[in-house]
Amino acid sequence: MKALTLYEDRNTFIHHVHPINKLIYIFIIIVVPLILPLFPVLIAGIIMNTVLLLIANVFKKSLPIFGFVLLILLTVLIIQGLFHAENATPLFHLGPLLFYKEGFFYALQITLRVLNIVAAFMILVLTTKPSDLVETLVRKGLSPKIGYVLQSVFQIIPQMLSTMETISDAQRSRGMETEGNLFVRIKAFLPLLGPVVLNSLIQTRERAMALEVRGFSSLRHKTFLNEVKNYRYTTFIQFTLWLVLLAAIIWRVVL
Amino acid sequence: MNKSMWSFRLSTASLVLIPVAVGINYIGKTLASVLKLPLWLDAIGTMLASMLGGPIIGALSGAINNVIYGLTMDPISFIYGITSLFMGLVAGILAYKGWISSWSKAIIVGIAVGLTAVVISTPLNISFWGGQTGNLWGDALFALVMAKTKLVWFASFLDELVVDVPDKLITVLISYAIFRGLPNNLKQLYKSNNKIESLD
Amino acid sequence: MKKIVVENLKYRYPSTEKLALDDISFTINQGEFIGIIGQNSAGKSTLCQALVGLVPHFYQGAYGGKVIVDGIEVKQSSISELSLKVGIVFQNPFTQVTGSKLTVYEEIAFGLENMGLTRIEMLERIDSVLDLFDITAVKNRNPFDLSGGQMQRMAIASIVAMKPDVIVLDEPTSQLDPQGSEEVFRAIGELSNQGMTVVMVEHKIEKIAEYSDRVLLLHEGKCVDFASPADIFSRDDLHEYGVVAPVYTRVCQALKQKNIDKKTYPATLSEAVEVLRGKIHD
Repeated sequence: MKALTLYEDRNTFIHHVHPINKLIYIFIIIVVPLILPLFPVLIAGIIMNTVLLLIANVFKKSLPIFGFVLLILLTVLIIQGLFHAENATPLFHLGPLLFYKEGFFYALQITLRVLNIVAAFMILVLTTKPSDLVETLVRKGLSPKIGYVLQSVFQIIPQMLSTMETISDAQRSRGMETEGNLFVRIKAFLPLLGPVVLNSLIQTRERAMALEVRGFSSLRHKTFLNEVKNYRYTTFIQFTLWLVLLAAIIWRVVL
Repeated sequence: MNKSMWSFRLSTASLVLIPVAVGINYIGKTLASVLKLPLWLDAIGTMLASMLGGPIIGALSGAINNVIYGLTMDPISFIYGITSLFMGLVAGILAYKGWISSWSKAIIVGIAVGLTAVVISTPLNISFWGGQTGNLWGDALFALVMAKTKLVWFASFLDELVVDVPDKLITVLISYAIFRGLPNNLKQLYKSNNKIESLD
Repeated sequence: MKKIVVENLKYRYPSTEKLALDDISFTINQGEFIGIIGQNSAGKSTLCQALVGLVPHFYQGAYGGKVIVDGIEVKQSSISELSLKVGIVFQNPFTQVTGSKLTVYEEIAFGLENMGLTRIEMLERIDSVLDLFDITAVKNRNPFDLSGGQMQRMAIASIVAMKPDVIVLDEPTSQLDPQGSEEVFRAIGELSNQGMTVVMVEHKIEKIAEYSDRVLLLHEGKCVDFASPADIFSRDDLHEYGVVAPVYTRVCQALKQKNIDKKTYPATLSEAVEVLRGKIHD
């Protein structure tokens, strides 16, 4: 069974960076352009993200996600370029449409900001095994129960999907229509969803009991089967990241 | 006697509800897209978690749902975790106050949840996308209103309103239909009061 | 030595009227294998859950009397503390997989992590139960990728790794195919050989007869009888409780061949062979 994840198992430097440092990196990538709202800062962020994705050998894997985001951003560029409230200076014509400078640059800023944040998240998501991330957070003080909930979702979704496929095959073989006009398709929704939902809700009782009798609510101090992974240059990277934030604040205050 | 709706001592039974809620959200979303329905229907699990486990479990299901989506499919989901959280919260409070006892009340809950989504998502849409939702019809309306009025907040609010309210209303009604069909001893499981009566 | 003492146990689920357990008393000794039989809704599962503290701590409801496991009173303790003394395996192997672990090895560690064991201790215990239940070959697989029989043996291994003194099995093979059932029964035989106290609910009545030292017959929440398999299965009124005696007992009853004690009929294959062998030579 394949667990649900975008994680790419590679052996690169980025893969060996502490997950907490990747989280701090995302925080810095979001916050620094807010402190210093300048185009060059955003562009520097995007270049940095791209370099890291390339080092991690996952740049290609990130492209489909960027494609999806870019599609939405294209509509932002069109609508804002045409209708932004502060539009005054014409920039260029595209057939009968007149694009304005103010709206166009506003949309460009949004585009860069979104790409920057998405790219920073992609570094975390593509290079960190979800179970490692959750286990790290639990070691750092996240409630082990919430940790359990996060970990189990990755496996429960594929489980439920395969149950649903079994059920929809069965319903179809009994002659249920899943194609046709909207009304037919709406009518198919509940009979397909209902059994999976009912089944998985009823199973929660026995699963909860099974967890309880394995000490899930134990007040003892939890230990871990896996040893802490050997992450690289953790202190140095963390120090550097905070230094970048400090530099941005000083720049803002001084200039 | 129910336990307080804000009880933070979450029972194991209600915690186990959360991953299932996230799974149901995902199944609903997948089915809606397989059947090419013009709705998202991606919050049925969160609504069921709110109805069964109350506002805290509902809110946690919503937030965790988006964290998981963010980690596995679409990083943008993280941002809208706040919307999901509030939707779960509102549905849970209304459920606790007895608003899921009939179809007519369920319609009110659906509209309330839809409006919650609009109120929370609009500022997010404006600060993140400049006001759009990414939904074709909603964004067409956005463009139209922007062209006519230049009022970003108004245009964005309408964009979100036409997209979210019908979707959330149907979502809540579907969830209510399922909720009605659940066995009583299961519903009982999530609202245990932590008191053991003595038979001695 | 008394391992489990049940005194006047009464229990009612929340929002229900009828008692699920109605004034039950019995004692189980260290190392005994106890079978529990009775028709559906006789209270078998509820009784199992009362032995591990799920009744009343998980369900709440109304509770009376006492259950004492290894000197600890269930009502005054908690499920997680009791789990160090007594473990339980349920019907459905699938719902017993925690879902949060990616390998069989880690899955078995789940309870041990909650107990706060050291890594060294965990490794030792996991290797030993993998070996005992013959699942070492699949230790790096995803728990959901196992066959039903393997999954249920993993569930038993996960409980046994916590080293309880007593293990309760609530219809452990009812959702398995014949091969999976056979694998699980072999594992259960292993547990008994290790000297563990076992309590098992099971519909496969021949298995109850084969393994049990004593059998507890439940009906509508009450304990009808608690005696040796031969005693229980020789009762004339067994059908009134929705129970059918093992095929060996029924054959010997039809042939009117009693055990040497002249009172009971054989309950197991070996007893039946013993009784019938002499007759065939006549």
